[in-house]
Amino acid sequence: MSVLQRGTDRPSAGFSVGRYLSNIDWILLVATLSLVAFGMAMIYSATHADRNISSPTQYVNDQALGLAAGLFALVVVSLVDFSWFVGLKRYLYWGNVALLGLTLVVGAERMGARRWIATPLFDVQTSELSKLLVVLALAALLAEGVELRGRLRFLLKSVAYVALPAFLVFVQPDLGTALVFVAVLGVMLLVWGIRWTHAALLGGGALLATTLVVRVLPQTFGLELLKPYQIQRLTVFLNPSQDTSGAAYQLSQSKIAVASGMFSGKGYMDGTQTNLNFLPAHHTDFIFSVIGEEFGFLGSAILLLLFLVVLWRAFRIASASKTLHGTLIASGVIAILLFQVFVNVGMTLGIMPITGIPLPFVSFGSSSLVVFLTAIGLLQSVHVHSRTALYGGRLRGDQHGPMAA
Amino acid sequence: MYLEPMRKRRAPSDDTSVAARLAVLAAAAVILFAVLLFRLWFLQILSGDWYSTQADDQRLRTVSISAPRGVVYDRDGEPLVVNRAGLSVGILPMDLRSPEMVIPRLAEVLGMPEDEIWQKLEKGKSDPYRVTVIQADVPENPVVSYLKEHSLEFPGVRIEKSYLRSYPRQAFATHILGYVGEVSYDDLEKEQFRTLGPGAMVGKDGVEAVYDSKLRGVDGTRTVEVDAAGRPRRMIQEIQPQPGSNLVLTLDNELQDVAELAVVEGIERAHQEGFTDAAAGAIVALDPRTGEILAMASYPDYDLTSWVGGMKTDTYRDLTSPEGNKPFFDRAIKGLYPAASVFKPFVAAAALRNDVVDWTTVFNDPGSFKIGAQRWKCWKDDGHGDVNLVEALMVSCDTYFYNIGSMFYDMEGPIFQDGLEEFGFGRASGIDLLGEAAGRVPDKDWKRETGKSEEERLWKPGDDVNLSIGQGDLLVTPLQLAVASAALANGGDVLVPRIVRQITDGSGNVIKEFETEMRGRVELHPEELESIRRGLRLVTSDPNGTGYGAFRGFPIAVAGKTGTAERPPDDDYAWFMGYAPASAPEILVVAIIEKGGHGSSVAAPVVRRVLDQYFHTESAGPTQVEVTE
Repeated sequence: MSVLQRGTDRPSAGFSVGRYLSNIDWILLVATLSLVAFGMAMIYSATHADRNISSPTQYVNDQALGLAAGLFALVVVSLVDFSWFVGLKRYLYWGNVALLGLTLVVGAERMGARRWIATPLFDVQTSELSKLLVVLALAALLAEGVELRGRLRFLLKSVAYVALPAFLVFVQPDLGTALVFVAVLGVMLLVWGIRWTHAALLGGGALLATTLVVRVLPQTFGLELLKPYQIQRLTVFLNPSQDTSGAAYQLSQSKIAVASGMFSGKGYMDGTQTNLNFLPAHHTDFIFSVIGEEFGFLGSAILLLLFLVVLWRAFRIASASKTLHGTLIASGVIAILLFQVFVNVGMTLGIMPITGIPLPFVSFGSSSLVVFLTAIGLLQSVHVHSRTALYGGRLRGDQHGPMAA
Repeated sequence: MYLEPMRKRRAPSDDTSVAARLAVLAAAAVILFAVLLFRLWFLQILSGDWYSTQADDQRLRTVSISAPRGVVYDRDGEPLVVNRAGLSVGILPMDLRSPEMVIPRLAEVLGMPEDEIWQKLEKGKSDPYRVTVIQADVPENPVVSYLKEHSLEFPGVRIEKSYLRSYPRQAFATHILGYVGEVSYDDLEKEQFRTLGPGAMVGKDGVEAVYDSKLRGVDGTRTVEVDAAGRPRRMIQEIQPQPGSNLVLTLDNELQDVAELAVVEGIERAHQEGFTDAAAGAIVALDPRTGEILAMASYPDYDLTSWVGGMKTDTYRDLTSPEGNKPFFDRAIKGLYPAASVFKPFVAAAALRNDVVDWTTVFNDPGSFKIGAQRWKCWKDDGHGDVNLVEALMVSCDTYFYNIGSMFYDMEGPIFQDGLEEFGFGRASGIDLLGEAAGRVPDKDWKRETGKSEEERLWKPGDDVNLSIGQGDLLVTPLQLAVASAALANGGDVLVPRIVRQITDGSGNVIKEFETEMRGRVELHPEELESIRRGLRLVTSDPNGTGYGAFRGFPIAVAGKTGTAERPPDDDYAWFMGYAPASAPEILVVAIIEKGGHGSSVAAPVVRRVLDQYFHTESAGPTQVEVTE
């Protein structure tokens, strides 16, 4: 390909709205917005009859604000050339650590956890934002260290790089989000090109650490990094009948809700589990149960299909990216999405532990919504700017593919 | 390319490697989604029905709406048992959270022992979706209003409207009406109570029990949707209850009133005559043409109201104490007594039918009767001299009947007993009440089977002699005597006595009418029957008759028979049977005063009192009656 062939694509030609719009991945955007719309409809269904809200649309209104903010972030981020984030790596990383540290200090405590920083306008759940910052920082780190793929030292550095923010989230405590970081690390290392021996080493290390935390430390040394209720929530789905806390109740009510929807569901706003409050947290963590109950197998499958479309586009963007950096960012977003969708939906179906992870785009919660829309913005950025990377690439040695020859 | 040394082992990934790694990731994603979809299919398509039932079970509450129980009327439409609205406190086990907090407080509010609530709860927990009644009749103030105000502190505690029995006349026809109570757990297994749940009210005694299925009606249901906190949200379905049918009894409330009073007066009369142990008695008044019970009472009785809402422990203790004289016991149909002289007409009938004697046969009564060395005394020490059957009945001559007994002994087989059993002795009369006693007509076989010693297993002449005056091992109930006497009064028909006349619906339409039922017939030659009747007629009309004193001045001809039963070490039991008008009997009355002394002076005035009421004759009976038998 020569410069002359696609002269108008040169970045030096300046920003053009038309080119930007034609380079946007519209399928990704439409699928994303469909998920958000689906979610808002379900939030309305789940909350319109709540007794302690000022208007039936209170939660939907809040979510709409999140959507507006999120769309703004999406557009802004997609306009930014993702390769700039390499240079911002240090600030992104330490900013993230500082934000999480601040949360532990000044965060508002709710239900025994410090996860929110209250601002005059809205409360920010910093761990949500932290996921993206970790993806960006790690993508930059790994892209820069592409030559060091065989080095165990670099690998351990990368692990430690993620471990710090993950630990800060873990002690909030927010075990679910901490696990998202682990998934992000694993997926990005895989895509980056970790050696299989190293992967096996890390995997073994993770198992060992889990064993230590869950069994050896509490039983032998009386050191409880995880509180008993956390362990119970994690394991209750394996043995619901042995539960003494409310976790099994949540689980069984969720299963009843989903399964009683049968093939076509009980109808919009007609879910009895939802409207009679048998289903806890029905607009947040258990929103999928509402979908299952009111729209049945059909509606659940359509929702999963929308997620598959989003993931398909994300994979497409990841593999089409001309730079490893772009591929890694897209992979990080894929990791977050895949992990959260599977764990959240699996939780409502009783095959995954109850971790308090929201369903991306669908669950109520502005922080989560803004962050996921921003993540879609990142994917769009990779999509748009990969095409121009040939000409304006600033990265050293991270280009790959035939074009790099 | 050849100039560059290749380091294959540590070569940076090329494009195909990234693509492969992404492919691995994509495959993982597809597998994870497949797992979710498979799980959805398993839950929603394969197990959907089961989970739907679960969802319905926890959101739908079905409460029963009690059907009002049928009303019980007397034969003139006077209500004897009615309903009143009441409130009951119950517990719905599935909504009961932290029972160890709630139960002690509830016990305090209801003023009942905590253990009792736990017991009831334990029994009711088999069906967590059904309310277990803890206290049936709870006052609106302050208990119910307190519970309603503090309903949040009493999760699972329900207040329900219910119907409670009410007895306008309190202690009236106690044993006939019977009472209702919570169905027992054993009864729930029975076919007739199959549709009921724990806490349902069913008849426990009297017509309430016998006609329970008619009176009960069918409870309705109200299905409500509730939220997770158990608050009702909307009505799903309501099925109205079907009220129970009403009963019209054969009782005449005014006659019943007098009959109950007359027994009490009889006891007082016994006290005046020095029989101070007298404390109980029974009376049966029936229509000898139809078998309808016009009045029937057993004393002591008690106020049926004490059962409403569950009987208090100390009330129950008082009623069952030895001083209480068994008020729950219906002496009219369950009390077993020696019949004594009241039995003589039936002995006479058996003798006449089997040609042991004819009515002109004369025996001499020197004051006693002898077989070998054994001697039986007549109640009149100097004897009645020569008497025929009519005179023997009139003066209740024991010796005359001793002769008959002795002659029966000489005959082959239980001819005597067969003749007596034809009148219905030795078996339940078949009245529509519970627990009627069968009584006993002793015979050879019975003695052989039940005798404790060789001596006692032997049927001896004395057994027939004693039986001939209604003593020995003979046991009868007042009702049996009334039914047997009615056969003499009506010409031989042994009728099934009835307490219920009609079953009617709420608008008064008759659903079922009970008709006169015959159990058997005693075939007596008219001349023989007439001789017995004449003897009975003379009892009250001839100055020598044993009932003459009691019926002196009574304007209507009465036939009757006195009896004084011996039951050592007790004082004698006073009997009287009478029917009137003697020529065309409409009413027959049998009365017994336990340990009351003489039939002539204690029991006969009781019967006269009832006949007075029946015929509205208001003939003041003699205050003092000369003792004969």
